Amino acid sequence: MSVEENLGKAVKDFLAEAEEILDQLSLDLVALSDCADGGECSPDLVNSVFRAAHSLKGLAGMFGFSEIAELGHHLENLLDALRLGRTALDQAVVSALFEATELLSVLVRNAGESGGEPVDTSGVVQRINDCLAREPKGSQASPLSRLKLPERVLNSMTEYEEHRLLENVKRGRRIYSIRVSLLLATFDSELMELTEQLKQVGEVISTLPSASGGLEAGIDFEILFGSELSASELTPLVEREHLSIVRFGEETELPAPLEDEFHAPLPIEGSVTAKSMSRTVRVDIGKLDILMNIVGELVLSHSMISEVAARMRRDGFLAPAQELVKAAKGLEKKLSELQKGVMEIRMIPVGQLFEKMSRIIRKISREQGKQVELKLYGADTELDKLIIEDISDPVMHIVRNAIDHGIETPERRRALGKDEKGTITLSSFQKGNHVVIQVDDDGSGIDVARVKQKARELGMLGAGEEVGDREALEFIFLPGFSTTDVVSEISGRGVGMDVVRTNIAALSGMIDLENRPGQGTRVTITLPITLAIIKALIISAAGRTYALPITSVLESLLVEKGEIRTVERKEVITLRETTLPLLRLSEFFQLSGAGEPPESFYVVVVGIAEKRLGLVVDDLLGQQDIVIKSIGETFAGFRGISGAADLGDQRTILVLDVGSVIGEATRGGA
Amino acid sequence: MLVSTIDALEKFTIVEAASGFEALRLLPREQVDLIITDINMPDINGLELISYVRNNPNYQLIPLFIVSTESGDKDLEKGLALGANEYLVKPFNPQKLQELICKYLG
Repeated sequence: MSVEENLGKAVKDFLAEAEEILDQLSLDLVALSDCADGGECSPDLVNSVFRAAHSLKGLAGMFGFSEIAELGHHLENLLDALRLGRTALDQAVVSALFEATELLSVLVRNAGESGGEPVDTSGVVQRINDCLAREPKGSQASPLSRLKLPERVLNSMTEYEEHRLLENVKRGRRIYSIRVSLLLATFDSELMELTEQLKQVGEVISTLPSASGGLEAGIDFEILFGSELSASELTPLVEREHLSIVRFGEETELPAPLEDEFHAPLPIEGSVTAKSMSRTVRVDIGKLDILMNIVGELVLSHSMISEVAARMRRDGFLAPAQELVKAAKGLEKKLSELQKGVMEIRMIPVGQLFEKMSRIIRKISREQGKQVELKLYGADTELDKLIIEDISDPVMHIVRNAIDHGIETPERRRALGKDEKGTITLSSFQKGNHVVIQVDDDGSGIDVARVKQKARELGMLGAGEEVGDREALEFIFLPGFSTTDVVSEISGRGVGMDVVRTNIAALSGMIDLENRPGQGTRVTITLPITLAIIKALIISAAGRTYALPITSVLESLLVEKGEIRTVERKEVITLRETTLPLLRLSEFFQLSGAGEPPESFYVVVVGIAEKRLGLVVDDLLGQQDIVIKSIGETFAGFRGISGAADLGDQRTILVLDVGSVIGEATRGGA
Repeated sequence: MLVSTIDALEKFTIVEAASGFEALRLLPREQVDLIITDINMPDINGLELISYVRNNPNYQLIPLFIVSTESGDKDLEKGLALGANEYLVKPFNPQKLQELICKYLG
């Protein structure tokens, strides 16, 4: 690769790593804000957050992203002051940290795409400096001298570690030096085991390695440890070979069994390895798309081969046809496995999305003075990464609505006899070939009267017209609808539920609202597990061919003309004691050439979530694997079509978006 | 991590250690001519690494650079006191790094 190409790739890697760092940082900040309220924060957490900012700043500086580096530098300053005990952790500090992290995310995103709004960081920098300028807490008296720590330990302690030592001493903990001899081959896992045990009962302040007495395959560690336990309580917990414990501050050396073996020669075992401990690979999603495309083409090739085999059999070449069919079946099986394998790589748990929401919920509820508790269910339900990315904004909007309009203020809730803390529940589960994401709140629900009033104001509902409560909810999805006149920063900026629905429809999904006046709202989003290659039912209607994703097809029936009844000007039939509305595709798409309605015809029953619809079609042409391709921007707003597919015999057909067809039909659009 | 992307010196092989522990593991295995380390690391800190290296007869003479942020001033001094040869403050000029490398490795 040329130097330039190298650099381009390196920048992409940096942006990917920066995003990862910021994601983890946000998660940790949430934990930090929790313990800010509670009192004591785990020093590991503060340290980890500090290191993240430090890495990000370094990386950004290296690649010339000066804005990111500079803001990262300020963030790092504040975090450093925190971990060294120079600044106390309070809500002002937490806010500043959150703000800085969010701005950094925006900057990183902007760096990845060209353009993006310029970001003003002066405000948050000011707030950070304010936090830093506040009086440092406590006195700097050093009780360390009493401890008489050996020089070699003191010399290799960083300022941070000294601070931690001081903290431990202030808290009245005993300070121990734990020396252990380990093998080079296994020291990291053994040391980790030991420190994990120690962390249960105290704080590991520092770890000093030194060469083992003479032998190359060994390494010694001196661990500085603070704990409230007495020596006799501590010893049995960490007892192992080649380990001795000394307490600082008293000169008594504790009897440890096998202490005389401390300097015994260690057997040489195993080999030293430099292999990385990580077992994951970071993959650019563009590469996965390419892979999926290739698999799609393979699927088409397979279809063609099957076609040829069928033709050969028709033409009398029975023996070779047989072999070809057998080979094609084997190929189909392997392709199916390959397809599954590639799809699994793209799947990530919904939990990632939930964590993002968690941060936003805390921020907004704090800003609005509302108390919100978040419950999560089904965080390990998996979804295609691209779907999760595209669903992130809509879900965020829904969550914001829930806090903004749904959950009441603590006072109001108390007055209503509700718990002061509102609850938002995010849950996700798999339902057949779909994944459902639900947002529940126990707030005030949607004020249907107000919705109707607004609808009348906007001219969506006639003065004399009445509409049921369930139908009224539909107005919320119309463009331009919003029951607050103030475009607040929270739910405003022109993003309405109509955009949310369009985004979800673009993913072949559906959104549903359930309203419990006074008790809350539930928003249900149903999504296909993945797009790309799907099995479809091929049908013809009014002389044209369409594909129906199998996941939405429930059954197909042969219906007599006489079975059709008319209810409220719509055609229906009775299916196993329930009424099934019918839709003639020819009418839906306003196609001509429907011809005389035959005596009996096929009805394909489709459904998503609880909704059902019977599609009247001319003929059922079989099942096939198809690859859905987008039909482009021009036709993006087309109701009822989610894409186009290649049938393998050079025919291109349209794929029905069952969700929107059902939606339109039940609204009385047809 | 970051150093390998800017180092245009193809004469040298760069071995990255993602943490202090990895460095401890790598040292006996690779023929190391120069060590560049950060101060803040998750397991052992840079000072402890320097102490280990300088107290070990096998690695005592290997040139060692520390990289740090400005706010780590006191730590930097300790690092030099422990035997580091040079220090670099982040964000550092890659040119400077190149000069230092040439100075110690010829």
